[in-house]
Amino acid sequence: MSHRDTQAATRVGTRIANKSIKFSFDGQEYLAQSGDTAASALLASGVREMGRSVKYRRLRGLLAAGPEEPNALFTVGNFPNIIPNVSAPQLVLRNGMALRSQNRWPSLKWDVASLLQAGGGFLGAGFYYKTFIWPSWKTYEKLIRNLAGLGAAPGVCSLSPPKIMYASCDVLIAGAGPAGLAAALAAARAGANVWLIEREPVVGGELEFEASEIDGLPGAQWIAATLAELARRDVKIFTDTTIMGGSSDLIIAHREAGGIAGNNAVYRMKPRAMVAAMGAVERPIAFVGNDRPGVMLINAAEKFLARYGVKIGHELVLFANHDRVYAAAARLQAGGMRIRAIIDTRLTASETIPLRGDLMRSGIHCLLNTAVLATIGGNRITGVKIAPLDAPHQVRTLACDSVLVSGGWSPATAQLTQSHFIAGAEHGCLELNAALHDGYTAGRTAAQVAGKTDLSGTAPRGHGDLTPSLMPFWRSPSDPIREKYQFVDLQNDVTVADLRAALAEGFNDIEHVKRYTTLGVGTEQGRTSGLLGAGIVAELKGDPLTKVITSRERPPYYPMTLSSLAGLRVNGALRPTRKTALHQWHESNGAVLESMGLWMRPRYYQANGADAFTAGIAEARRVRSIGGIIDSSTLGKIEVAGPDAAAFLDTIYLSKASTIKIGRSKYMVNLREDGMVLDDGIVLRLADDRFLATVSSGHAEHMLSHFEYYCVARHYPTISDIRAVSVTDVTESWSVIAVAGSTSRHALAQVLGNEWLAKIAQLTHMDFAVGLFQGHDIKVLRASFSGELAFELHCRPTHTLALWEGLVAAGLLPYGLEALDILRVEKGYLVSSEINGQTTPFDLGMDGLVKQKNTCVGRELLNRPAFHEASRPRLVGLKAVDGKSKFLAGAQLIGSLAPRPCGHVTSTVYSPTLKEWIGLGLVARDYALGDIVRAHDPLRSGNTRVLLVSPVHLDPSGARMKSMSRAP
Amino acid sequence: MTLATLQTRLTCPFCGPRHLSEFVFHKTVAPPNASPFAEVYERIDNPNLSIEHWQHVRGCRSWLRVHRNPSSGSVLEIHLLGAAI
Ligand SMILES: [Zn+2]
Repeated sequence: MSHRDTQAATRVGTRIANKSIKFSFDGQEYLAQSGDTAASALLASGVREMGRSVKYRRLRGLLAAGPEEPNALFTVGNFPNIIPNVSAPQLVLRNGMALRSQNRWPSLKWDVASLLQAGGGFLGAGFYYKTFIWPSWKTYEKLIRNLAGLGAAPGVCSLSPPKIMYASCDVLIAGAGPAGLAAALAAARAGANVWLIEREPVVGGELEFEASEIDGLPGAQWIAATLAELARRDVKIFTDTTIMGGSSDLIIAHREAGGIAGNNAVYRMKPRAMVAAMGAVERPIAFVGNDRPGVMLINAAEKFLARYGVKIGHELVLFANHDRVYAAAARLQAGGMRIRAIIDTRLTASETIPLRGDLMRSGIHCLLNTAVLATIGGNRITGVKIAPLDAPHQVRTLACDSVLVSGGWSPATAQLTQSHFIAGAEHGCLELNAALHDGYTAGRTAAQVAGKTDLSGTAPRGHGDLTPSLMPFWRSPSDPIREKYQFVDLQNDVTVADLRAALAEGFNDIEHVKRYTTLGVGTEQGRTSGLLGAGIVAELKGDPLTKVITSRERPPYYPMTLSSLAGLRVNGALRPTRKTALHQWHESNGAVLESMGLWMRPRYYQANGADAFTAGIAEARRVRSIGGIIDSSTLGKIEVAGPDAAAFLDTIYLSKASTIKIGRSKYMVNLREDGMVLDDGIVLRLADDRFLATVSSGHAEHMLSHFEYYCVARHYPTISDIRAVSVTDVTESWSVIAVAGSTSRHALAQVLGNEWLAKIAQLTHMDFAVGLFQGHDIKVLRASFSGELAFELHCRPTHTLALWEGLVAAGLLPYGLEALDILRVEKGYLVSSEINGQTTPFDLGMDGLVKQKNTCVGRELLNRPAFHEASRPRLVGLKAVDGKSKFLAGAQLIGSLAPRPCGHVTSTVYSPTLKEWIGLGLVARDYALGDIVRAHDPLRSGNTRVLLVSPVHLDPSGARMKSMSRAP
Repeated sequence: MTLATLQTRLTCPFCGPRHLSEFVFHKTVAPPNASPFAEVYERIDNPNLSIEHWQHVRGCRSWLRVHRNPSSGSVLEIHLLGAAI
């Protein structure tokens, strides 16, 4: 311990100060220096094991020194106040910070699940796809749910909302390395208003450690001089900020200082031109055991040394395919690390490297045409196996404790490439002078695009490390059986064997390979693994890399805290609340309101019970015994008028509207063009050329667009002649009160006045009458969705309260949505989850409507054979076999004919009238009423035997309603 | 290619240039004279021309036929849907 502490206290680096702070990792206390990241502080304390891989739970250390780090993701804080999946190289420590490793149980050293992979019993590519289906999914579900995913979710969110800023500038420059700084100089000198965005807390990029000279100044001094000039020219610099995406003229940047959510900012930038100079990310080479803690990218080791004074190991072997490795080796050696060997896969190294000779003279083995085949050791590396590439069986062993690897650089091409100028390393300019020149040119062109014409000035000139002279090398030779230890994507445990399996199983395209193997789908988003994987796929297929290409990049560019995506918390200020005319009454009468789209609707009234369940039951029971009223004003109402109104409705409804007589209404269903049921509702014929269509509350806005669309869409032959029709949204022009129960007729007459008595008595099912209430229009429609005698009153919002209060005074008390669902399910009326966009009219028992042979939107596609197969679902009623067990919507139904589910439960309620749990479900047609299936609900520990019955649970003959139909 | 040519506005024949957030995309249209099946499932797959139906939902509510170049992100033509071509 004392050794570590001394080491921690004496480090010197560009980013740390000699001020000691404390933090803990997996419960153990450590010392760090101010400015340290979690990664640098742990490395300095001798900790190498920082996490386990997601799938195989292999022990992992650091690979990288940036946000591309695949392994070291930590959870910060103590539950419930935690932030998961924070990248250790990005996380700047604060005194007292508590960190935890992830993907292990019970501890990092002893992980139970890692025993699953002992003996090499790996879950190969496609494992998930092959087990995510029944019946094996049922077997593996619990295990997979426990293993899957990155860190745990926080129990609370106490993050402050991000600052959101909208702004525009002439030239936006992404990346403040040498190329980005040169671009900023060029654009600013041309007079452009320039913004410079840098992901790191400081600018300069690789100049932080690369030996360099620019315009006669050492790199660090040139940066200082450049920053001074940029400040004079009013260039705004945003550090700790990353461009996350933007496919149009809007660029989204995200600031997350210190690598952890806190005082985040989201910038929505509108530049007139943009330069992307985001550099390049070093990539590894695949070899056996390349995932052991101690295998790191060369560039990462250099960064840890220069920034934090951390020596990542004592005895290093460097493995690369380019000239840069020698300059890096010299710097690491100067930093006090012992280098055993430099393994170069190329046949020759550049003659212009005097360094190589110096390194060899200092006792380092510099081997050409050689590769590292494998690491040796347990959890820690004790050595490597190397062999000449032309004689891979002449294996030699070298002792070492770390392997630094570099397979070249992958440009940090974001998804922005189509809309900007690319410069520097991102553009392939890996040599300093070329990058400076490229950046300067791009900056000048961008300024020109932004309308600037003064293009004087010259690009800075400099020199640093040599051009790499890279020879592509993706993976070391290996026995095919050991390819499952050649890791390509360390975060998702994708190996060369997985890529080979994907190709063998016919996943040829890189996008398919990605999805099948999960290559590059983690937080590192293919930064280290994407091009490497593509290179290996190309090699395995024998195709050129240009034919394989990498998979498409998608925003966000780097992991982004969800609270930043959520944006401002405005408590609904940007989301208006729609209130019915009775809203105030509901509130002052103890209604518990629930949002439905933008609307607020009473779920239940507190006077009827302490919670939704008890109150709903009490309210439903009262409707069945006496009656009740519900505010249904949210119902969508669309008035359709004009000479072609009837013809128009005929084409957008499954059954004909033109046959409805004036003063009558009809239950109607809309189809989508693909034949699936879209919505249902009642259509009233007000006049020969005027209809009122009611649509579901939740679909009202969409249905209005749907109606409007078919007024003008001409691709349906039957519609092409219809022109004289107008569609008007009258949702808020009419309130709706639904009145149900045996006393409803009596109460209505009492409230509306005696002149209505005869009118109401004459109404048969689906008739409506129009008249006046307190001098204003009112419609009384006889329609029932509860199996009781029931009416729908359409009245003007200004007079709704009077009508409602009158009905309450007449003894009809209000009920809410909870009771409404009970009443509907009891009678087998669709609740909402049955119309899910995947059910046809046949599935929902609407065969009768189809038989009417009306030509309408979606009708043609109803004839598809697949719509009539035995595996298609059918709406059924469900009840527990034992008459008392509870089962819930969402449960899978499993029958005796096949191990796979035969359907699912769509709605369930407890029926106070039937005194048991009942439900509706969609079940394959090869099951008959009377069959018994199991409602399998593992997440809620449900496993109930249920009986398939008619959807109409209560009073199937309709006797109740008929008995009440007779006028008093 | 510069950012200036990418569009986040559509020009409604009634309302003039309005921000994209006022419009809702409905679908890419099928080839002309398509069968009902093709109407639903077949699309013209042309990287330089996509004919789409949009609605100016948070505006005048007109339905529009938009001709777009998906490769460049530029809008080529906008007509009222149903109007004579
Ligand atoms: Zn408009």
